[in-house]
Amino acid sequence: MATEQELSNFLRGVEKRAFKRTVYAVRDEDAALDIVQDAMVRLAERYGDRPAEELPLVFQRILSNATMDWFRRQKVRNAVLSNLSDIEASAEDGEFDLLESLETLESTEGTESAADAVSRTQVLQAIEAEIAELPARQREAFLLRYWEEFDVAETAEVMGCSEGSVKTHCSRAVHALAKALKSKGITL
Amino acid sequence: MIRAEQQSSASSSLQSLETRFGRRVSAALSEQPLAHDIEQRLRISRELAVARAAAVARVSRGSGVVQAGGDSAVLGSWWLRAASVLPLLVLAAGLLLVEWVERDERIRAAADIDIVLLADELPPKAYADPGFAEYLKRAEP
Repeated sequence: MATEQELSNFLRGVEKRAFKRTVYAVRDEDAALDIVQDAMVRLAERYGDRPAEELPLVFQRILSNATMDWFRRQKVRNAVLSNLSDIEASAEDGEFDLLESLETLESTEGTESAADAVSRTQVLQAIEAEIAELPARQREAFLLRYWEEFDVAETAEVMGCSEGSVKTHCSRAVHALAKALKSKGITL
Repeated sequence: MIRAEQQSSASSSLQSLETRFGRRVSAALSEQPLAHDIEQRLRISRELAVARAAAVARVSRGSGVVQAGGDSAVLGSWWLRAASVLPLLVLAAGLLLVEWVERDERIRAAADIDIVLLADELPPKAYADPGFAEYLKRAEP
Protein backbone atom coordinates (compact mmCIF):
# COMPACT_ATOMS: atom_id res chain seq x y z
CA MET A 1 0.00 0.00 0.00
CA ALA A 2 1.33 3.43 -1.02
CA THR A 3 1.97 5.81 1.86
CA GLU A 4 0.78 9.41 1.76
CA GLN A 5 4.33 10.50 1.02
CA GLU A 6 4.67 8.01 -1.83
CA LEU A 7 1.34 9.14 -3.26
CA SER A 8 2.35 12.79 -2.98
CA ASN A 9 5.74 12.14 -4.61
CA PHE A 10 4.12 10.17 -7.39
CA LEU A 11 1.60 12.91 -8.13
CA ARG A 12 4.31 15.57 -8.00
CA GLY A 13 6.33 13.61 -10.53
CA VAL A 14 3.49 13.01 -12.92
CA GLU A 15 1.36 16.17 -12.66
CA LYS A 16 3.19 18.27 -15.24
CA ARG A 17 3.10 15.60 -17.90
CA ALA A 18 -0.51 14.76 -17.06
CA PHE A 19 -1.49 18.40 -17.41
CA LYS A 20 0.29 18.86 -20.72
CA ARG A 21 -1.09 15.66 -22.17
CA THR A 22 -4.57 16.72 -21.19
CA VAL A 23 -4.11 20.18 -22.65
CA TYR A 24 -3.09 18.57 -25.93
CA ALA A 25 -6.28 16.54 -25.83
CA VAL A 26 -8.85 19.12 -24.74
CA ARG A 27 -7.10 22.36 -25.87
CA ASP A 28 -8.27 24.18 -22.76
CA GLU A 29 -6.00 24.79 -19.78
CA ASP A 30 -8.78 25.28 -17.23
CA ALA A 31 -10.55 22.13 -18.35
CA ALA A 32 -7.24 20.25 -18.30
CA LEU A 33 -6.58 21.37 -14.71
CA ASP A 34 -10.05 20.19 -13.69
CA ILE A 35 -9.52 16.84 -15.40
CA VAL A 36 -6.12 16.31 -13.81
CA GLN A 37 -7.52 17.21 -10.38
CA ASP A 38 -10.43 14.84 -10.93
CA ALA A 39 -8.02 12.05 -11.90
CA MET A 40 -5.81 12.72 -8.89
CA VAL A 41 -8.75 12.62 -6.49
CA ARG A 42 -10.17 9.47 -8.09
CA LEU A 43 -6.78 7.80 -7.77
CA ALA A 44 -6.45 8.85 -4.13
CA GLU A 45 -9.96 7.83 -3.11
CA ARG A 46 -10.30 4.54 -4.96
CA TYR A 47 -6.77 3.29 -5.45
CA GLY A 48 -4.84 4.84 -2.57
CA ASP A 49 -4.50 1.39 -1.03
CA ARG A 50 -2.65 0.01 -4.08
CA PRO A 51 1.12 -0.55 -3.99
CA ALA A 52 3.13 2.48 -5.15
CA GLU A 53 4.47 0.67 -8.20
CA GLU A 54 0.93 0.17 -9.56
CA LEU A 55 0.05 3.86 -9.38
CA PRO A 56 1.52 5.03 -12.74
CA LEU A 57 -0.54 2.63 -14.85
CA VAL A 58 -3.71 3.11 -12.82
CA PHE A 59 -3.34 6.89 -12.91
CA GLN A 60 -2.89 7.01 -16.68
CA ARG A 61 -5.98 4.85 -17.09
CA ILE A 62 -7.97 7.12 -14.81
CA LEU A 63 -6.68 10.21 -16.60
CA SER A 64 -7.68 8.79 -19.98
CA ASN A 65 -11.14 7.95 -18.65
CA ALA A 66 -11.52 11.37 -17.04
CA THR A 67 -10.59 12.99 -20.35
CA MET A 68 -13.11 10.85 -22.20
CA ASP A 69 -15.73 11.75 -19.59
CA TRP A 70 -14.98 15.41 -20.28
CA PHE A 71 -15.45 14.90 -23.99
CA ARG A 72 -18.72 13.09 -23.36
CA ARG A 73 -19.92 15.91 -21.17
CA GLN A 74 -18.91 18.52 -23.69
CA LYS A 75 -20.27 16.41 -26.53
CA VAL A 76 -17.25 17.28 -28.61
CA ARG A 77 -17.82 15.05 -31.56
CA ASN A 78 -14.62 16.19 -33.22
CA ALA A 79 -12.65 14.03 -30.83
CA VAL A 80 -14.48 10.95 -32.03
CA LEU A 81 -14.05 11.99 -35.64
CA SER A 82 -10.34 12.55 -35.18
CA ASN A 83 -10.05 9.10 -33.64
CA LEU A 84 -11.78 7.59 -36.63
CA SER A 85 -9.59 9.47 -39.09
CA ASP A 86 -6.62 8.29 -37.07
CA ILE A 87 -7.55 4.67 -37.69
CA GLU A 88 -7.94 5.33 -41.37
CA ALA A 89 -4.69 7.26 -41.74
CA SER A 90 -2.19 5.80 -44.17
CA ALA A 91 1.50 5.37 -43.62
CA GLU A 92 2.77 7.46 -46.48
CA ASP A 93 5.81 8.68 -44.62
CA GLY A 94 7.40 5.29 -44.05
CA GLU A 95 10.46 6.12 -46.08
CA PHE A 96 11.32 9.26 -44.14
CA ASP A 97 14.92 9.42 -43.07
CA LEU A 98 14.75 9.33 -39.28
CA LEU A 99 18.49 9.00 -38.93
CA GLU A 100 18.94 12.40 -40.54
CA SER A 101 16.61 13.99 -37.97
CA LEU A 102 18.36 12.27 -35.12
CA GLU A 103 21.74 13.42 -36.30
CA THR A 104 20.58 17.00 -36.27
CA LEU A 105 19.09 16.52 -32.82
CA GLU A 106 22.25 15.09 -31.36
CA SER A 107 24.71 17.40 -33.07
CA THR A 108 23.42 20.38 -31.09
CA GLU A 109 24.21 18.97 -27.65
CA GLY A 110 26.53 21.06 -25.48
CA THR A 111 26.72 24.63 -24.17
CA GLU A 112 24.57 27.32 -25.72
CA SER A 113 24.56 31.11 -25.81
CA ALA A 114 21.64 33.40 -24.80
CA ALA A 115 20.65 33.68 -28.44
CA ASP A 116 20.74 29.92 -28.70
CA ALA A 117 18.56 29.70 -25.60
CA VAL A 118 15.92 31.96 -27.16
CA SER A 119 16.08 29.98 -30.32
CA ARG A 120 15.76 26.78 -28.34
CA THR A 121 12.63 28.05 -26.59
CA GLN A 122 11.12 28.75 -29.97
CA VAL A 123 12.07 25.29 -31.12
CA LEU A 124 10.50 23.72 -28.06
CA GLN A 125 7.31 25.66 -28.67
CA ALA A 126 7.31 24.49 -32.26
CA ILE A 127 7.73 20.89 -31.13
CA GLU A 128 4.81 21.28 -28.73
CA ALA A 129 2.73 22.72 -31.54
CA GLU A 130 3.57 19.79 -33.80
CA ILE A 131 2.67 17.32 -31.08
CA ALA A 132 -0.62 19.13 -30.56
CA GLU A 133 -1.29 18.70 -34.27
CA LEU A 134 -0.94 14.92 -34.16
CA PRO A 135 -4.14 12.85 -34.34
CA ALA A 136 -5.39 12.12 -30.81
CA ARG A 137 -4.62 8.41 -30.72
CA GLN A 138 -1.17 8.83 -32.23
CA ARG A 139 -0.37 11.58 -29.76
CA GLU A 140 -1.61 9.53 -26.81
CA ALA A 141 0.41 6.50 -27.87
CA PHE A 142 3.52 8.60 -28.51
CA LEU A 143 3.35 10.42 -25.17
CA LEU A 144 2.58 7.32 -23.13
CA ARG A 145 5.31 5.35 -24.82
CA TYR A 146 8.12 7.90 -24.88
CA TRP A 147 7.21 10.55 -22.30
CA GLU A 148 5.64 8.35 -19.63
CA GLU A 149 8.10 5.61 -20.65
CA PHE A 150 5.50 2.85 -20.63
CA ASP A 151 6.23 -0.30 -22.57
CA VAL A 152 4.04 -1.35 -25.48
CA ALA A 153 1.86 -3.65 -23.37
CA GLU A 154 1.24 -0.99 -20.72
CA THR A 155 0.44 1.62 -23.34
CA ALA A 156 -2.00 -0.79 -24.97
CA GLU A 157 -3.68 -1.40 -21.62
CA VAL A 158 -4.09 2.31 -20.91
CA MET A 159 -5.38 3.02 -24.40
CA GLY A 160 -7.61 -0.03 -24.48
CA CYS A 161 -6.25 -1.29 -27.80
CA SER A 162 -3.91 -3.97 -29.11
CA GLU A 163 -0.13 -3.82 -28.88
CA GLY A 164 0.02 -3.80 -32.67
CA SER A 165 -2.11 -0.68 -32.75
CA VAL A 166 0.20 1.00 -30.25
CA LYS A 167 3.22 0.22 -32.40
CA THR A 168 1.47 1.55 -35.47
CA HIS A 169 0.32 4.74 -33.72
CA CYS A 170 3.79 5.36 -32.30
CA SER A 171 5.54 4.76 -35.58
CA ARG A 172 3.20 7.07 -37.46
CA ALA A 173 3.54 9.74 -34.79
CA VAL A 174 7.34 9.58 -34.89
CA HIS A 175 7.46 9.81 -38.66
CA ALA A 176 4.90 12.62 -38.77
CA LEU A 177 6.84 14.61 -36.16
CA ALA A 178 10.17 14.02 -37.84
CA LYS A 179 8.78 15.11 -41.16
CA ALA A 180 7.10 18.21 -39.74
CA LEU A 181 10.19 19.27 -37.81
CA LYS A 182 12.43 18.76 -40.81
CA SER A 183 10.12 20.79 -43.01
CA LYS A 184 10.48 23.66 -40.52
CA GLY A 185 14.23 23.28 -40.49
CA ILE A 186 14.13 22.60 -36.76
CA THR A 187 17.18 21.29 -35.00
CA LEU A 188 17.03 20.76 -31.29
CA MET B 1 16.35 -16.93 -45.18
CA ILE B 2 19.07 -14.29 -45.43
CA ARG B 3 16.54 -11.84 -46.83
CA ALA B 4 14.20 -12.45 -43.86
CA GLU B 5 17.07 -11.81 -41.47
CA GLN B 6 17.94 -8.61 -43.30
CA GLN B 7 14.33 -7.46 -43.10
CA SER B 8 14.20 -8.28 -39.40
CA SER B 9 17.43 -6.40 -38.81
CA ALA B 10 16.18 -3.37 -40.74
CA SER B 11 12.91 -3.43 -38.78
CA SER B 12 14.63 -3.51 -35.40
CA SER B 13 17.01 -0.77 -36.54
CA LEU B 14 14.05 1.38 -37.55
CA GLN B 15 12.35 0.72 -34.22
CA SER B 16 15.51 1.69 -32.42
CA LEU B 17 15.68 4.95 -34.38
CA GLU B 18 12.02 5.65 -33.64
CA THR B 19 12.59 5.07 -29.95
CA ARG B 20 15.60 7.37 -29.87
CA PHE B 21 13.72 10.06 -31.73
CA GLY B 22 10.67 9.69 -29.48
CA ARG B 23 12.79 10.00 -26.36
CA ARG B 24 14.60 13.07 -27.69
CA VAL B 25 11.33 14.81 -28.46
CA SER B 26 9.92 13.83 -25.05
CA ALA B 27 13.02 15.19 -23.35
CA ALA B 28 12.45 18.47 -25.17
CA LEU B 29 8.85 18.51 -23.95
CA SER B 30 10.00 18.12 -20.37
CA GLU B 31 12.21 21.17 -20.70
CA GLN B 32 9.29 23.55 -21.14
CA PRO B 33 8.34 24.96 -17.71
CA LEU B 34 4.71 25.49 -16.71
CA ALA B 35 3.26 28.89 -15.83
CA HIS B 36 3.42 29.69 -12.12
CA ASP B 37 -0.35 29.78 -11.61
CA ILE B 38 -0.75 26.40 -13.26
CA GLU B 39 1.97 24.94 -11.06
CA GLN B 40 0.14 26.31 -8.02
CA ARG B 41 -3.18 24.86 -9.10
CA LEU B 42 -1.56 21.50 -9.71
CA ARG B 43 -0.01 21.67 -6.25
CA ILE B 44 -3.42 22.40 -4.71
CA SER B 45 -4.96 19.50 -6.64
CA ARG B 46 -2.20 17.22 -5.44
CA GLU B 47 -2.63 18.26 -1.83
CA LEU B 48 -6.39 17.80 -2.10
CA ALA B 49 -5.91 14.29 -3.47
CA VAL B 50 -3.45 13.35 -0.74
CA ALA B 51 -5.86 14.70 1.91
CA ARG B 52 -8.67 12.61 0.42
CA ALA B 53 -6.48 9.53 0.46
CA ALA B 54 -5.71 10.17 4.13
CA ALA B 55 -9.42 10.60 4.91
CA VAL B 56 -10.32 7.37 3.10
CA ALA B 57 -7.55 5.53 4.96
CA ARG B 58 -8.86 6.85 8.31
CA VAL B 59 -12.40 5.69 7.51
CA SER B 60 -11.23 2.23 6.47
CA ARG B 61 -9.09 1.96 9.60
CA GLY B 62 -12.13 2.96 11.67
CA SER B 63 -14.29 0.25 10.14
CA GLY B 64 -11.44 -2.17 10.75
CA VAL B 65 -11.46 -1.31 14.45
CA VAL B 66 -15.20 -1.99 14.65
CA GLN B 67 -14.65 -5.36 13.02
CA ALA B 68 -11.73 -6.07 15.28
CA GLY B 69 -14.08 -5.51 18.27
CA GLY B 70 -15.15 -9.08 17.51
CA ASP B 71 -17.12 -10.94 20.16
CA SER B 72 -17.90 -7.96 22.36
CA ALA B 73 -19.31 -6.05 19.41
CA VAL B 74 -21.39 -9.07 18.33
CA LEU B 75 -22.63 -9.56 21.88
CA GLY B 76 -23.55 -5.89 22.13
CA SER B 77 -25.54 -6.02 18.94
CA TRP B 78 -27.36 -9.18 20.20
CA TRP B 79 -28.48 -7.41 23.37
CA LEU B 80 -29.52 -4.40 21.32
CA ARG B 81 -31.73 -6.59 19.13
CA ALA B 82 -33.15 -8.40 22.18
CA ALA B 83 -33.97 -5.08 23.81
CA SER B 84 -35.78 -3.89 20.70
CA VAL B 85 -37.93 -7.08 20.61
CA LEU B 86 -38.83 -6.91 24.34
CA PRO B 87 -41.62 -4.28 24.07
CA LEU B 88 -43.34 -6.41 21.43
CA LEU B 89 -43.23 -9.43 23.70
CA VAL B 90 -44.70 -7.41 26.60
CA LEU B 91 -47.50 -6.12 24.37
CA ALA B 92 -48.41 -9.63 23.16
CA ALA B 93 -48.44 -10.94 26.74
CA GLY B 94 -50.72 -8.06 27.81
CA LEU B 95 -53.20 -8.75 25.02
CA LEU B 96 -53.34 -12.45 25.94
CA LEU B 97 -53.94 -11.53 29.62
CA VAL B 98 -56.78 -9.14 28.74
CA GLU B 99 -58.40 -11.75 26.49
CA TRP B 100 -58.14 -14.39 29.25
CA VAL B 101 -59.67 -12.06 31.90
CA GLU B 102 -62.60 -11.09 29.64
CA ARG B 103 -63.36 -14.70 28.79
CA ASP B 104 -63.28 -15.56 32.50
CA GLU B 105 -65.73 -12.75 33.25
CA ARG B 106 -68.13 -13.95 30.51
CA ILE B 107 -68.05 -17.48 31.98
CA ARG B 108 -68.71 -16.15 35.48
CA ALA B 109 -71.68 -14.08 34.25
CA ALA B 110 -73.19 -17.08 32.46
CA ALA B 111 -72.66 -19.21 35.55
CA ASP B 112 -74.43 -16.61 37.74
CA ILE B 113 -77.46 -16.62 35.40
CA ASP B 114 -77.52 -20.42 35.43
CA ILE B 115 -77.43 -20.44 39.24
CA VAL B 116 -80.34 -17.96 39.50
CA LEU B 117 -82.40 -19.96 37.02
CA LEU B 118 -81.72 -23.27 38.66
CA ALA B 119 -82.41 -21.87 42.13
CA ASP B 120 -85.76 -20.33 41.06
CA GLU B 121 -89.02 -22.11 41.95
CA LEU B 122 -90.22 -21.95 38.37
CA PRO B 123 -88.72 -24.81 36.33
CA PRO B 124 -86.47 -23.72 33.44
CA LYS B 125 -88.87 -25.34 30.93
CA ALA B 126 -91.48 -22.71 31.82
CA TYR B 127 -89.28 -19.95 30.36
CA ALA B 128 -89.45 -21.67 26.97
CA ASP B 129 -93.24 -21.87 27.04
CA PRO B 130 -94.99 -19.81 24.29
CA GLY B 131 -97.51 -18.50 26.82
CA PHE B 132 -94.72 -17.03 28.92
CA ALA B 133 -93.29 -15.33 25.83
CA GLU B 134 -96.73 -13.83 25.07
CA TYR B 135 -96.94 -12.63 28.67
CA LEU B 136 -93.58 -10.87 28.34
CA LYS B 137 -94.73 -9.12 25.13
CA ARG B 138 -97.87 -7.77 26.76
CA ALA B 139 -96.07 -6.76 29.95
CA GLU B 140 -93.37 -4.73 28.07
CA PRO B 141 -95.30 -1.57 27.10
